[in-house]
Amino acid sequence: MVVAAILTVLALTGGVLSGLRSAANVVVTPFNWTVNEVARPIGHLFAGAINYSDVVAQNQKLRYELGQAQLKANETWPLQRQLQQISTDLNVPYVGSLPTVGAQVTTQSPTNFAATVQISKGRDSGILVGMPVVANGGLVGSIIATTPQGATVRLISDVNSSVGVTFGNGEASLVVSGRGVNNGLSAASVPLSTPITAGTKLATNGLNGGLYPPGLPVAKVASVSLTPGAATYNLVLRPTADLRHLLYLDVVLWEPTA
Amino acid sequence: MRRALLPALVVTLFIEAVQLTVLSSLRIEGVVVMLVWLWPLCMGLTGFTSLALVTALVAGVFFDTHATTPFGLTALVALVLAYGASRLGREGVGDLDSAAWWVTPFLAALGGFAAPLIYIVAGTGTLDFNLWRGSVLMMMFINAGAFFVLARPMTRLARVIANAGERVHR
Repeated sequence: MVVAAILTVLALTGGVLSGLRSAANVVVTPFNWTVNEVARPIGHLFAGAINYSDVVAQNQKLRYELGQAQLKANETWPLQRQLQQISTDLNVPYVGSLPTVGAQVTTQSPTNFAATVQISKGRDSGILVGMPVVANGGLVGSIIATTPQGATVRLISDVNSSVGVTFGNGEASLVVSGRGVNNGLSAASVPLSTPITAGTKLATNGLNGGLYPPGLPVAKVASVSLTPGAATYNLVLRPTADLRHLLYLDVVLWEPTA
Repeated sequence: MRRALLPALVVTLFIEAVQLTVLSSLRIEGVVVMLVWLWPLCMGLTGFTSLALVTALVAGVFFDTHATTPFGLTALVALVLAYGASRLGREGVGDLDSAAWWVTPFLAALGGFAAPLIYIVAGTGTLDFNLWRGSVLMMMFINAGAFFVLARPMTRLARVIANAGERVHR
């Protein structure tokens, strides 16, 4: 009877699964905290000792890239203003003009079968299911679940993710699918008439009813292959955003249109 | 079984915490080593079926509440591994003292190799047909390797807990 009462309360207050999730979190949190406190310094020690030269090299590279980005931003701001103006006139949403909420990545997906991350902001910050998430210069994924102070982002590399993209002048649209946590992206069944080559940059197509606003960089074509006898290309794609090093990201406060 | 239950559950929760806080970010070639599957398997190899099944259920359900994959799949795989291992454990197969040193690690490696496949097959039951699209072979090999290495210490720990309960009981 007690169990039934608890399940009823859980069902009424946001579903049995989210109730179970919260209860499990409450139980595991002290253990997580203990393990974290012990493991983190040891992990940092090893990581620092092993990767020191990598960290220094990465730092230098990042400084260089930051300088380049600043230079580019200074050079392109008049163009961005023009684009924003045109987008507003044409009533086309452009991510540069959409409000965003910055959030920190709190945990990565614990499983091999889902490419997701948890972030530190949720419904209280205006984040809703379906909103796109960007970081590191490109589309990262979309929100699939929210709590008042957190949210779950499904990365574009997740096997259940698919994104409508376009390239060049927007003459062709493709569907980009995730290939798993560490495997990047792919696009299959691309018609042979599609003028696509390695290095082509793909961005969200923003078709009416699409899940993403137009113009978000998604991926670059790494290779184009043609199975003998097949009438379509298969593309291997490299995500524009570095999905393996996500620390901070921006949730675009944009909801998919019905 | 009852007296061993509490220490077994506490260790299970610590293993859960290690899985969620350490192993989820310490990936090998992008693959997470699934201690929450190894632990029930090792508990099963001690021959205590009920204890192995309870630890499998707890470890799996707690893990599933933290993952976005279909609820219950991790627990189901843990239960299958725990039950299979406990059948072997009851026959004395994989006993740390009497069997050759490599038997326990080999059995664990087999479990680690099969676990992702069981997960994917079970996933089709939840109408999720995309699970195979990840790097399944990599998951199988890396988990098999990690299970091979960790099997003996984990089984020893499992045996200490299970036997401690038995001793107090006597």
